[in-house]
Amino acid sequence: MALALPFPALQRRLGVGDFACIGFLLLMIILIAFGTQIAPRDPLAFDPMHSLEAPSAAFPFGTDEFGRDLFSRVIAGTQPTLLVALAAAALGVLFGTATGLVAGYLGGAVDETIMRVMDTLMSFPGLILAMLVVVMLGPAPMNVVAAIGLVFWPRSARLVRSVVLDLATREFIDSARSRGESRLFILTRELLPNVLMIIVVDFSLRVTSAILLSASLAYLGIGVTPPTPAWGLMVRDGQQFIELAWWLPVFPSLAIAVVSVGTVLVGERLRRSIAMPGGDRAR
Amino acid sequence: MNAEPQAIAEDTMPAFSSEPTLEVIGVSITYGSDAGGLKAVRDVSFRIAPGEAYGLIGESGSGKSSLAYAVLRHVPAGRVTGRIMLRGQDVMEMSPQALAAARGRIVSMVYQDPMSALNPAIKVGEQIAEVVRRHRKADRKAAWARAVTLLGQVQLPHPDEIAHRYPHQLSGGQQQRVVIAMGLACDPDLLVMDEPTTGLDVTTEAVILDLVNDLRRALGVAVLFISHNMGVVAQVCDRVGVLYAGQLVEEGSTAQVLRAPRHPYTIGLMNALPTINRAQARLADIPGRLPDLRQVPEACVFAPRCASVQKGCTTAIPALETVGPGHRTRCFERDRIVRAMAPPAEAEAVAEEATGKPLLQIVGVERSFGRMPRLNLPFLRQRRPVRAVDDVTLDIPRGRTLAVVGESGSGKSTLARCVAGLLPPNAGDILLEDSVIRPMVQNRTRPEQRAIQFIFQNPDAALNPHWTVEAIVGRPLKLHGLAHWSADLRARVVELLDAVKLGQRYLDRYPHQLSGGEKQRVSIARAFAAEPRLVICDEPTSALDISVQAAILNQLRDLQERHGTSYLFISHDLGVVRHIAHRVAIMRHGRIVESGTPAEVFGAPQHPYTQALIAAIPTLERKRRGAEPDTTRIMA
Repeated sequence: MALALPFPALQRRLGVGDFACIGFLLLMIILIAFGTQIAPRDPLAFDPMHSLEAPSAAFPFGTDEFGRDLFSRVIAGTQPTLLVALAAAALGVLFGTATGLVAGYLGGAVDETIMRVMDTLMSFPGLILAMLVVVMLGPAPMNVVAAIGLVFWPRSARLVRSVVLDLATREFIDSARSRGESRLFILTRELLPNVLMIIVVDFSLRVTSAILLSASLAYLGIGVTPPTPAWGLMVRDGQQFIELAWWLPVFPSLAIAVVSVGTVLVGERLRRSIAMPGGDRAR
Repeated sequence: MNAEPQAIAEDTMPAFSSEPTLEVIGVSITYGSDAGGLKAVRDVSFRIAPGEAYGLIGESGSGKSSLAYAVLRHVPAGRVTGRIMLRGQDVMEMSPQALAAARGRIVSMVYQDPMSALNPAIKVGEQIAEVVRRHRKADRKAAWARAVTLLGQVQLPHPDEIAHRYPHQLSGGQQQRVVIAMGLACDPDLLVMDEPTTGLDVTTEAVILDLVNDLRRALGVAVLFISHNMGVVAQVCDRVGVLYAGQLVEEGSTAQVLRAPRHPYTIGLMNALPTINRAQARLADIPGRLPDLRQVPEACVFAPRCASVQKGCTTAIPALETVGPGHRTRCFERDRIVRAMAPPAEAEAVAEEATGKPLLQIVGVERSFGRMPRLNLPFLRQRRPVRAVDDVTLDIPRGRTLAVVGESGSGKSTLARCVAGLLPPNAGDILLEDSVIRPMVQNRTRPEQRAIQFIFQNPDAALNPHWTVEAIVGRPLKLHGLAHWSADLRARVVELLDAVKLGQRYLDRYPHQLSGGEKQRVSIARAFAAEPRLVICDEPTSALDISVQAAILNQLRDLQERHGTSYLFISHDLGVVRHIAHRVAIMRHGRIVESGTPAEVFGAPQHPYTQALIAAIPTLERKRRGAEPDTTRIMA
């Protein structure tokens, strides 16, 4: 009973757009959980009789050079692509939040030290930093997660810090200090609930860029090994056949585009719907 | 005392033959959808004759700003019904071109916050000149010359030099003069002023009010003056309308409305106003809150809060009825009300002398901001550190209130934060019951942390928006081990909420579901939860309406009587201080310039600054500066 629901404003009436977003999220969850079972054919089974067939009723997205059903591969590819993206976004936002809270609230030398480290990390282009880390650690999904998490860490930290800097000047923080609350209490119970909604929105947008980043890594052949049906890898493998079989790179690319645009739209709707009613504007 | 209001009525008695500058006829403003819309203003009519100053008084939610914005059609025409006639033209029917021409030439507006009304990146002279160029087709040189003249008219020294400055290089009062100059740029017939002095210090406010009066006399401009402060309105306006919940409840000359009010709401406001002339036992607050303006009942809107409510009041809407020449009031009981208005009993309520050892001593406390730069870097302007608190020594008596009064920048809040341990002083000690306590609150012992609690100025920021009222008030109990079992805790929280007149039903509410006054009560309950010996109140009522302020001040006094708590009361409002303080200290530039009992400080102020402060308070009697105004200087 002590703490608030993080999103009091979610209690408003839902519209068509909200249902579209919920539907999209449900579809993604089903595809992640049961992708391989739903797929009409085995995404890994070779079928030399049907290699490089154009899209048809039997093979809606066509087949690749080994005769594998592209439709099944795209469906099965949801899991490796999205799980990595979700985990990486979660990791980055988690570390970023912790660092941002501490840096923003404690300020002074702690803030300086933390933020200069973050700046150093941020000065590397995201993709290059991620590549470096994966190449160093070796190709495994966990390493891709760690690499992308590392890319997101300073960016989330900056965001959370900027919000905390503003919150820390509010009088309810002074009030907590003057009644003798510990720093840990102020960080976790006074500040954290107030940055939670920003974190959630940040997370949803990070998922989008994690999808793109992991697909880029896969496209460069880093982090995932064939025959895993990761979308990025499928685009890379398919592009050599683009003149023979346009469907090979196009359908995985479309999947990447649809899912990333979808998550952006969901994140945007979330951002708009969880603005505090009357809370944050009146100051 | 009586001669003056008549004199005012004479020089501005509207000539009925002439066309009014502004005529508002049956105006209603509704926000939101038509069915469940917020009826912010309902059927308001009034007129302003050429050269007349008309004051609209109202608390927050009264619709006064909506009306001001509607006059300039800053409210979409679809939301407004009724007619707003500017020199005979209906504002709502004007073509976009006619409207653009009218804004500035017929009517212009002076906003509350000069800092946001001025563009920080453009010289003030240029900003005024632009208005002139837009409406007059003047060339650059002529427009600039006109801007300089205007700056002279608003009595800024060295106008030709000031014109070249940027807004941040001017003080708040100077900025507001620039905004007024901008409003006057095209000789409008009507100046709409929305709380023009609310953000200003009392001495600056007095100067701006004098300026408005001088300008009216010199230029003959009519003024629609919106304010919540009756004293301010009394200084400027010839006639006054009182708005409550979107309705005009009383209207008449300033003397009629403010000296002999005939509506219970106006009377309530007058009784709730703390003044420095008398220390009342209790201020009369107005209980209850504004009605829901989405569903306005077919009844007197004030009936639920009215002390003299009768049966008939809840079944029909009273009309504005005449009770004297030009004096109208919207009350069924208007004939009885006038008799009910008796001067409140004068009683020296607060025992002024404090006895015994002080609870808390502030000894030689100093605090400056800004360090001397260690390096001499090029391009960095060297800033000297500012001494916000400069060698302050004060005693806070046991069970009594010490008020520290000062204008903005006097260092009074810094002093409060030093005592609370939120800000370490550079020098000096703070003694709680004769023992020195650590400067920073986190280094103090638990009993010391418990002994000193803080009530903040801004009720919106003082409560964590993600905590329920129960969590907010219960937290100090848990922290200091005052309640162990959850049932026990809940019972204590309810007890504390009852003590500030909030009931059990508030337990599960969030701050954004509370009004400003309710939030401040939660803050008070939180402060008293720790059973403190000293409560620091930093401007606890400055963000509240007058009627709510009265209730909060009464509350603080009751709690002090019951618990024997000491208060360090920080305020800029001498009236409030007169009402609550046992001892007063006047602070300026970080130093205490005068201190003593309220009777000493207010009755016979010794320091010239105190005298100036007291003289500057806008009272219900109009003040007149020295001799006749020097119009030649104003015309420049």
